[in-house]
Amino acid sequence: MFRNLQLKSTPDRIEPVTDQLTSSWLEQYSEAPILLSQINLLPENIKKRVYRILIPPELLARFQIDPVSWKGAGGGLHVRLDARAGSNSVRLMAFSDDDRMDEFFHLEISDNAEGSLEIKMLQLNDPQSPRFGTVINREVDQDVTGKAGRNLEEEQRAMEAGLAPGQIRDGLGALKITLNQFETFLAATGHRAYFLEPQFYSAAWLFEKRGFAYVRGHKLMDNIHAEFQHGGRLHQALDSSTSFRKPDAWRFVRGRAWAIHDGILEAISEKWEDLRMVKQVGRKAGVETFPGAEY
Amino acid sequence: MDINFLEKHPADIVQVSGSVDALTASVLTDFLSLKISQDHTNLVLDLNQVEFMSSAGLRSVLAALKECRNKGGDLRIAGAQPGVEKVLKMSGFTNILKIFPDSENALASFSN
Amino acid sequence: MHQITRSAELTSLPEFRKYINLACSHHSGIDKQITYDLQLAVDEACTNIITHGYQGMNPGSIILSLEFKGAYIEVTITDFGHAFEPIQTPAPDLEAGLEDRPTGGFGLYFIYQTMDEIEYTTNPYGNRLTFIKKLESAVG
Repeated sequence: MFRNLQLKSTPDRIEPVTDQLTSSWLEQYSEAPILLSQINLLPENIKKRVYRILIPPELLARFQIDPVSWKGAGGGLHVRLDARAGSNSVRLMAFSDDDRMDEFFHLEISDNAEGSLEIKMLQLNDPQSPRFGTVINREVDQDVTGKAGRNLEEEQRAMEAGLAPGQIRDGLGALKITLNQFETFLAATGHRAYFLEPQFYSAAWLFEKRGFAYVRGHKLMDNIHAEFQHGGRLHQALDSSTSFRKPDAWRFVRGRAWAIHDGILEAISEKWEDLRMVKQVGRKAGVETFPGAEY
Repeated sequence: MDINFLEKHPADIVQVSGSVDALTASVLTDFLSLKISQDHTNLVLDLNQVEFMSSAGLRSVLAALKECRNKGGDLRIAGAQPGVEKVLKMSGFTNILKIFPDSENALASFSN
Repeated sequence: MHQITRSAELTSLPEFRKYINLACSHHSGIDKQITYDLQLAVDEACTNIITHGYQGMNPGSIILSLEFKGAYIEVTITDFGHAFEPIQTPAPDLEAGLEDRPTGGFGLYFIYQTMDEIEYTTNPYGNRLTFIKKLESAVG
């Protein structure tokens, strides 16, 4: 019945390993991806050598930070690494000043239960730009209005200054080189893809442009776009009832992002939650849920 | 996908155009079911303008065929394009229902 | 390589078919039946992903790519939903009388009938279904 059929089904399950990274392990499991929890068990100076790859050298050069020593022009240490033994996550922070007060790079990554890597947090800030007190604390329980954890005045100032929700300062325009650098690290450690969960519409849009597809939430993004068109329920909900729901906000990624952060998705009985994105190393998915968008 | 219904004798013609896939098949199923419930039990399904049909389309055809025959009538297919005809052949539907090159021939077959 | 990514919704099915049509029209030696076979296999596979793969989840993406390699065409469908084994579904009974004829199960069967090789792999990075369609000069 199934003439010409050659069915090859090769399940390729990757079990998470926590074996020590010895040279014999590396020999034996030459195809297995290396996990952060394994790297974190290595001696401190080896960890530092490995994780040095996570910050683009050209970004460090912009702030006169030596890419090998992590020291600034004044001789102070400008980069902090948090990669404790026994932990499955890594935090890397870079500062423009000797006192490590003005952070321009913040990356948090971790292993997940399936043995692949997630970006838990990525902040790229221009330390020369004004800072806004937009406290967006996801740990705080939201009250009924969803307003708990929001500083509305600061958010409005930030929005008017051209920031997107989630930003406390202007960005660095360094997302592309940062992700390219991260993919180099992933290829070196044997990972073929990585994941993240976008906290804002603007973040999802940026990651789409960088070649991410959706594990969850592609349909939601399509629906949001459709409903922001003329005649759509989100379009109608842009009724200036708050300063984040200006009538023309639908035309811009940032406008939509602020409106969504303000809870406008209730108009289509949805919430901004549960989105998850995936990027295959070296490949772009070409997703564009807001075609021809202006940021 | 669009559906055009032509009342004729000795059977009615259901002209479908577009694609019958998992997205659109339920529309066809509901339409045929309604017509059959209104005693249009001899049907020619004219697929001349159907450029694509998947297994979802087959399910629709099969459901309508069963309903027609249960009521003493029949459903016959006309004008299937080569791709759609291959789908009908692959599934063995050519063993259980009659297929004609055009709706004139299909209509005429109901007179026999 | 030709590639598009769309959401795992039924409304994406016609877009995938149109894309295959477009890609095939750019290559000589690919007749209408081969194009239809590819559209059918992809349509059936994507319908499965859309109706079962993302069940209980906020639907994610389906990535469709086509590579024309002279003697054959390689189609890859990647999704990030629940894994599902193509072999486990029983084949439909083609000899059954009308009353016993099943209304389902044809989707996978059509994939097997139209494609020459099928490979399915699943890992934490997603599910990947690959079809090979051989281009023969004589009709098979």
